[in-house]
Amino acid sequence: MSMPITRRRVLESATAIVALPALESLGFRKFASAAATAAPPKRLIFLGFGWGVTEESWYPDIKTPGADYTLSPGLAPLARHKSDFSVVQNMWHKYSVEGHEGSTMWLTGANRFAQPGQTFHNSISADQVAAAQFGLQTRFASLELDANPSTTKDVVALSGHGPGLSLAWDARGKPVAGLKGPVEAFHRLFSQDKTPIEQQKAMLAEQRSVLDTVLESGRDLKRRLGQRDTAKLEEYFDGIRDIESRLSKDEQWIGVAKPSTKLREPEASLEGREEIKLMYDLLVAALQTDSTRVVTYRQPVGTLLTSLGIKVFPHDMSHYHTTRAEKLDCSQKRDLAQSELLAGLLDRLKATKEADGSLLFDNVTLAYGSNIRTGHELSNCPMILAGGGSGLKLGHNIVMPKNTPLCNAWLTILKRSGVDVEKHGDSTGIAEELLA
Amino acid sequence: MKHSCIIILIVLVASVAPVAPAAATMADAQAHMPEQHRGLLKEHCEKCHGPDTQEGRVRVDDLPLSIDSVETAERWQKVLTVLNAGEMPPKDEPQPDSKIKTDFLADLSQAMVVARKSLSDQHGAITMRRLNRREYVNTLKDLLGVEINATELPSDTGPGGFDTVGSNLFMSANQFGQYRGLGREALEEGFARHAGVAGTEKLRIEGEEISADFKKQEAEAADAERRAKEWIAKVEEAAARPENSEIVATLKKASKNDAEFRRSWGKIAGAPPPEDFGFKTVENNADKANGALSRSTDYFSAYREKFFAMPALDTGTYLTIHTLSQQVTLMAPWNWPPGEFVVRVRAAALADSPPDRRFLEFGTDPRNGKGLHTREVTGTMDAPQVIEFPLTLTRANDNHDTRAKRTLFVREKGTQDHYLQTRIKFNAGKARNKVGPELVLWVDWLEIERAPAANRQTPPGIAALGMPLDDKSSEPSASDLRTGIERFTAVAFRGGPVPPAFVDKLVGIYDLRRKAGDKHAAALKETLSLVLSAPGFLYLAEPSDDATRRSLTGPELAMRLSYFLWGGPPDETLRELGQTGELSKPAVLAAQTDRLLDDPRSAGFIRPFIHQWLVLDRLDFFEFNRDRYPRFDHAVKQSARNEIYETFAHLVCGNASLADLLQSDYVIVNDVLADYYGLPHPAEFGFQKVSLPKDSPRGGLLGMAAVLAMGSNGDTTSPVERGAWVLRKMLDDPPPPPPANVPSSTRLAGKTLTPRERLKMHQEEPQCASCHRSIDPIGFGLENFDAVGQWRTEDSYQAIDAEGKPDAKQPKKTWAVDPSAEFYGGPSFKSFAEMRAIIASKREAFARGFTEALIEYALGRPCGFSDEPLVDSIVKQSAAKGLGTREYIHALVGSKEFSTK
Repeated sequence: MSMPITRRRVLESATAIVALPALESLGFRKFASAAATAAPPKRLIFLGFGWGVTEESWYPDIKTPGADYTLSPGLAPLARHKSDFSVVQNMWHKYSVEGHEGSTMWLTGANRFAQPGQTFHNSISADQVAAAQFGLQTRFASLELDANPSTTKDVVALSGHGPGLSLAWDARGKPVAGLKGPVEAFHRLFSQDKTPIEQQKAMLAEQRSVLDTVLESGRDLKRRLGQRDTAKLEEYFDGIRDIESRLSKDEQWIGVAKPSTKLREPEASLEGREEIKLMYDLLVAALQTDSTRVVTYRQPVGTLLTSLGIKVFPHDMSHYHTTRAEKLDCSQKRDLAQSELLAGLLDRLKATKEADGSLLFDNVTLAYGSNIRTGHELSNCPMILAGGGSGLKLGHNIVMPKNTPLCNAWLTILKRSGVDVEKHGDSTGIAEELLA
Repeated sequence: MKHSCIIILIVLVASVAPVAPAAATMADAQAHMPEQHRGLLKEHCEKCHGPDTQEGRVRVDDLPLSIDSVETAERWQKVLTVLNAGEMPPKDEPQPDSKIKTDFLADLSQAMVVARKSLSDQHGAITMRRLNRREYVNTLKDLLGVEINATELPSDTGPGGFDTVGSNLFMSANQFGQYRGLGREALEEGFARHAGVAGTEKLRIEGEEISADFKKQEAEAADAERRAKEWIAKVEEAAARPENSEIVATLKKASKNDAEFRRSWGKIAGAPPPEDFGFKTVENNADKANGALSRSTDYFSAYREKFFAMPALDTGTYLTIHTLSQQVTLMAPWNWPPGEFVVRVRAAALADSPPDRRFLEFGTDPRNGKGLHTREVTGTMDAPQVIEFPLTLTRANDNHDTRAKRTLFVREKGTQDHYLQTRIKFNAGKARNKVGPELVLWVDWLEIERAPAANRQTPPGIAALGMPLDDKSSEPSASDLRTGIERFTAVAFRGGPVPPAFVDKLVGIYDLRRKAGDKHAAALKETLSLVLSAPGFLYLAEPSDDATRRSLTGPELAMRLSYFLWGGPPDETLRELGQTGELSKPAVLAAQTDRLLDDPRSAGFIRPFIHQWLVLDRLDFFEFNRDRYPRFDHAVKQSARNEIYETFAHLVCGNASLADLLQSDYVIVNDVLADYYGLPHPAEFGFQKVSLPKDSPRGGLLGMAAVLAMGSNGDTTSPVERGAWVLRKMLDDPPPPPPANVPSSTRLAGKTLTPRERLKMHQEEPQCASCHRSIDPIGFGLENFDAVGQWRTEDSYQAIDAEGKPDAKQPKKTWAVDPSAEFYGGPSFKSFAEMRAIIASKREAFARGFTEALIEYALGRPCGFSDEPLVDSIVKQSAAKGLGTREYIHALVGSKEFSTK
């Protein structure tokens, strides 16, 4: 097999949209985004961490709202950024009833029982709403990052995320697959395709005939199906159509090199703390190079604990209330580690300059949290907002009216980032309290 | 518990009456909130949420007691949520009586479970679905003869139900790429395997070669130590000279120890270089000499000495722990093509080996691999025994961690699951006898040989191609190529139609690949990988319109039966019976059901069904405390899991009573587990029936180590986890899901308490008591089993501080286990045996739960209330036949539902 190696890479663009192609006609020499924009574009980052937090030590005092609040012990590592983020309290998803699913509905707010005759239902996540619009400009419409899988353990279950393949759910309410760990993410973002342009075009053409071939076999089946089964088979066709639109996008990018990066190819064995740190680096690099404008990351929690030398079973950690002792200690260590990592990410966002001299931090909106507060508690979901991209009020302990829909926050962020949207999930309107 | 029974009764009355109930009316009047609970709402809620005021736009006086729509369900959910959270009634208002509130919550949460179930009822509709991950793997194996690793695909299992439930089986663009890649991988593997089909490879390593190697190393080390001592004597001699006193003093001051001092030998006039004594590397050779010095006195020296004094080193070697020959290894040469192999080892256990140290563990990847099989060594030094293990060598052995994956090992069971475990075992031995663990297993040789050719059949996919699969032979003609591709597609599509236009396009892809530079074999694999990612291969289709329910065609019935009982496609016999229509005759269908169940492939039903029904994945959620439970090693855990599968397989195989899972006077165990349970070992290899002594706590699910270990966190038992599992799986009375937002009580935090004392807290709050009054007592009844399922009469608790060390401020507390408790609503029991007897008397409930699970798994849709008549009839038919486990399967397969689209 002489050339199938490169060919395979292109074929895998179904899974990994590989380095492709160009907008020569426009004459841009930009790496990743299609058009140079005068002002830096708005970007969105969503970071989800499954099992919530230690409620006693993570939240600032709910009785001291405003800018003049004392940072809680669990957030201490974020002290240097205190004026650049806000803690938001009292938001929740009213439909959420699963005490073990910190991420499934976090960005969607869906009611899993909403559809008669179905045991599970979800709807589009906030990031995908933004991606539908922002994604037209960049090589990757959105980037879904996920935890490095372990061969022996179910990292996702051990992290309290619940069903799903990433934080993202598409417009049909189907899970969007994530890039599992730093190696996959690195290759997706920065692996160069050295195949000559003519050959790339030929490969694209071939890929199209591949899709055409499988569609041909499906058409025959589809003709014989009833409505319900057709809907099921339609998922397959939708998948193929998704690949087709990716191919069209690839075609636009033929000849445009992927951005170069100073980051080195990560080691596959990284797990937990170092893994998250590296994913944050990759995330910043992706935004810096304008490879995408919407990033979600479903962070590992189970392996984070292991990497901290903690042996407490992750689920039990979140139930520290009855025993406290090592479980509480573990929970608090987790909070500190996560806060340190977040502080590092904020450092990076503030240290990264945009073309117009502003900081990347000024143009992003970062949301950090989980659907679970602690244990099985689903109210007052932990939430930190940061970044200057959507005019949020920063440096505050924002206490919302009790049980404000979390989707109001998503709607606010989306709208203020320039997404054309009027409602998200069970939102009831803009959360004015979040705005500066 | 009572209330849910009442609800089910209502259902029965409602659903049995009409012959063909209309779908819409079925859901009615099932989820019902008893009228009496209006009182609580009236008294405590309606002032603010009644006809006059509706604070927060919430009104409860007009809440229908029948929860028959998503909207009503949401309104009741809100009530449940705020009551659980303790938000309502407001703190400064009068609170409901605790008992009334507990009952209210118990009924409401149960009614919500019923409502969710009835609202999601699919009324018999079976949605077309794709193959789930394991069916996909099995189907590829049937087609190409190879088992690929498909872990990159979604696992399809989850809280949503069985992995056969079509509505949960999604497909995405991402997966298409994965199917493409995996299909390609399977074809590579299948072609490579086909190429090696005539091989006769064999390789052996002798134990004495290993022993001789160690002997040589030992002699070299002893010699190095002698030379090091000679060198040191010379260095010290030079250091003692008066003219060196100043520099020696300076050097000694700067050195932490003698070894470091000697590193500076060059500065001492007259000291000879270590190189003169044979220490020659590129580093500072003083280090080598220093390192060689302690060989005869190091931590392992006595152990090595003992090893070399053992008999029969000239014909074999011993399996050690921590150092020397911990494993005997052998690498399959690179040029051996994939295929089936037999690994043999000739071994003996020494006469005085303790019973639990007579087990040999076999696997690949010596450093990181877990054991694949474990066998007891019954051979003696006078009459050693040859033990055989099967091994499939795959191309994956070529790809990553190459060498390790091609390297086989045998070692003593449980000596290398984890380095800490290895250390614990060695240190324990050394603490006992100052030497190290006794040497108890002797190995003569280890060999690997390709399995006999008689077992090699050309798989149907390869046979269908009927053309050369390599680039050495001449290429097929255009028409042979087309015919081959068409035949392959027909087999891959399991008899489904093969549209000629599709074949045209496939040939087009082949040509495209050839033009692009591929040789024949590569182009063929690329082309065929498309067949393996097409809907015809990936989906189980039973085409029909929605308006009418129709009977399955013969081929469809064959497909449904084999995917149910094998997790894979039908074989030729079944396919033919399907095609001729014979299969639709009840007698033929029953005979085929028996035939499929008697085939080893029925493991493709038994394992995944049992695994998912009994949620065995929890066994892998945590690591077990090695210090505390040294006996619960990898081999025991693996055997404990297999015990559940094998017990069910035994019930199916002999059509034994399903109630044996509740209680039985025998167990199905292998030698590893018999040893763990302290029972006589089975007469033959593998899982066998072993009778139990009269008062044994084993026999039935409740006595199984895996079930009990799942009801722990790897360290301590969890009465809640265990109690809930018993309610769900054995009593068909699942507690509602743990409610969100229940305020956690911290009153007892940090105190040293028995589980019983700690869980008393559950009785204090109605939100907890409503479920835990049913759950916790069962957990208490199981407290005689520790976290790894061993029997105990005493338990202890040691508080752990933040560093993970025993908390000095709180002494260890030990108490006698008290298994007595009372089921909610009675009866009470004094011991585990009494509780088990009570649970064992609930045969009907257990059979119902099992039947519902079986229906969901087999039909690929949730078992809804509209299935109650089917459940009834299966339970009744099987009860009439002595609860024979196979009867349930027969009754289901013979039902109208099973053969209806």
